[in-house]
Amino acid sequence: MAIIKAEKTPSRPAPIFETSIIGWLQKNLFSSVFNTVLTLFMLFIIYLSLSGIIGWGFIDATFVADNRRQCYDNSLTGACWAGVIDWLTNIFYGRYPRDEIWRIDFGALMLVFWMAPLWMPRVKGKVLIGASVVVFYPFLAGYLFAGGDKGLFMQIMISAAIVALIGNMANLITGLAKNESVVQFLLRVSGKMTAPDKTQRNLLLAILVLAFAAVFWWQTSWSAVGVPWTKWGGLFLTLVISGIGIASALPGGIILALGRRSKLPVVRVLSTSFIEIFRSVPLITVLFMATTMFPLFMPEGFVLNKLVQVIIAVVLFNACYMAETVRAGLQAIPKGQFEGAHTIGLGYWGTMGLVIMPQALKHMIPNIVGSFIGLLKDTTLVSIIGLFDILGMLRSISKDVPWLGLHKEPLIFGAMLFFILCFSMSKYSRHLETKLSAGNKH
Amino acid sequence: MSTELKQGQLASAASTEVMIEINDMNKWYGAFHVLKDINLTVHKGERIVICGPSGSGKSTLIRCINALEEHQEGDIIVDGIVLGKNLKNLDHIRTEVGMVFQNFNLFPHLTILENLTLGPIWVRKMGKTEAGENAMKYLERVKIPEQADKYPGQLSGGQQQRVAIARSLCMSPKIMLFDEPTSALDPEMIKEVLDVMVELADTGMTMIVVTHEMGFAKTIADEVIFMDEGDIVEQNNPIEFFDNPQHERTQLFLSQIL
Repeated sequence: MAIIKAEKTPSRPAPIFETSIIGWLQKNLFSSVFNTVLTLFMLFIIYLSLSGIIGWGFIDATFVADNRRQCYDNSLTGACWAGVIDWLTNIFYGRYPRDEIWRIDFGALMLVFWMAPLWMPRVKGKVLIGASVVVFYPFLAGYLFAGGDKGLFMQIMISAAIVALIGNMANLITGLAKNESVVQFLLRVSGKMTAPDKTQRNLLLAILVLAFAAVFWWQTSWSAVGVPWTKWGGLFLTLVISGIGIASALPGGIILALGRRSKLPVVRVLSTSFIEIFRSVPLITVLFMATTMFPLFMPEGFVLNKLVQVIIAVVLFNACYMAETVRAGLQAIPKGQFEGAHTIGLGYWGTMGLVIMPQALKHMIPNIVGSFIGLLKDTTLVSIIGLFDILGMLRSISKDVPWLGLHKEPLIFGAMLFFILCFSMSKYSRHLETKLSAGNKH
Repeated sequence: MSTELKQGQLASAASTEVMIEINDMNKWYGAFHVLKDINLTVHKGERIVICGPSGSGKSTLIRCINALEEHQEGDIIVDGIVLGKNLKNLDHIRTEVGMVFQNFNLFPHLTILENLTLGPIWVRKMGKTEAGENAMKYLERVKIPEQADKYPGQLSGGQQQRVAIARSLCMSPKIMLFDEPTSALDPEMIKEVLDVMVELADTGMTMIVVTHEMGFAKTIADEVIFMDEGDIVEQNNPIEFFDNPQHERTQLFLSQIL
């Protein structure tokens, strides 16, 4: 018998208990007597712990006091946040000279300004901006933080960095105002827009050289007071170490991962053994080796400061972990993508840079951010080898005479700080994932 | 068969100029002998269809021509260049030989237009605007210019395969290789891809097509090659090949698929 449907069945709204809150509650929390009892029991536990935390941390807590004695006088059962507040500057900046702290803030502000255009859709030349941050910013910030004598190399790098920053800001303005890059703007103003001819290219080059010369001349007129690295500390030091670690672990990891997949045996064996050696050793061991054994291999009289050694160790260690993450991402790319790229004539670097890596990195974002979060937290290990990073500073509070024995509050404060940093990184990675997958449905 | 085109519809465009020459070529996968003593000459403008059962080495053969696979013995000479270990030669070959795959192999992270302009911009060093105009020209030729700003994942299989053809054409190749271009497509979409290929054949492009679409083979082929277990078993013009197959293996194959 033939069945022929005469007209379409209209769609009806879903049953009310599928969409309302009451329906959700009924389905998820109170679906049976046993589940109802469990729900109520859990609510009671949540109430107990929350009231305890709020009572200790806020209601009974002391926020203003000169020493721990006064905290106790105020309340025996509450937290003594006064100690943490008293030490806030130390927690953030370590023992950095108080008159020079503005340099750290200024450096951080510069980074914000430098990187902010990366998130603005109208701004052009993002790859260049990103590269300039990685290449030039460390020198500028490094000198700002450390100060002292500028060698010729540092003078050149600082001048280049300042030119890059100015160019970046000009690019930001032309991007926001005219939706074009600063180069496009200059070309348009000076004549032909497409196909820049030789004079125009020379003009651009001349502007660049002039700017560099001017900045170079200007920077000889000032210098910053030297601050030895032993004075660096607190959150500042943690962010310096992990920031350098994060910025160099990814490129390092990509190079190592490509090396491990290389067809050249020497490159492959070297990369593989490097990765495996660093991955089979705990970070703390690598740190100890870097600070105690590394100097033994160096020629006599060659002194590298401990901070640099630590940073090198952190970078190498994390590059190896990143290499494995990148390798996993590369393996997720189907062979057809390599073949597709080869048939349009792309060579090895073109294939990797234009076709494979952009796709692989997208798959890797959760893992990469996971590594970054791990790196940020692992950095606290440097407090064991005698650097006063944030953890070192937090623990010093309990040894400070007025706050003797104050352990709990600083560590809880530190935990909250790390949570904020790590959770926002994790949130941002989720945001990035949805954003990237929205533009590109498979 | 999905194409209703009659055999011999397209006039042969083959000239005497040799485009591809394969002499006594052998290839092994490990210990497995996939291609055995292959000899083949393809002239400029000639259209060759390769068919045969799966595992007979037809895909491997055209992948060797594109240097996607290495052969161990014999010579492959493409456009006067001997394929060997020389990497510079390989890059040159790949820019002159376009290839269309069964699974399209479009780049999912790039828009259709970016897929088409990637090669011209980075390999041919073409300007961005010029490459874009060139790409649009080919998108119009495969009849989907309106999809230029979409991503491959948003297109149907047939559309993706037409984009893949356009992507290869953007490099203005001298030879086009097709590796079972319609095998991964829904039946409804096979025709739109074959139509594009017939049009391409009409322009005098040198083509080697691995396919099971026999109607298509009759329409465009100057020569049909039948392969089995790594051998070229029979090679003939399409009329003879289909109406009067000589080898018993060919007869069996044709009786099963027609």
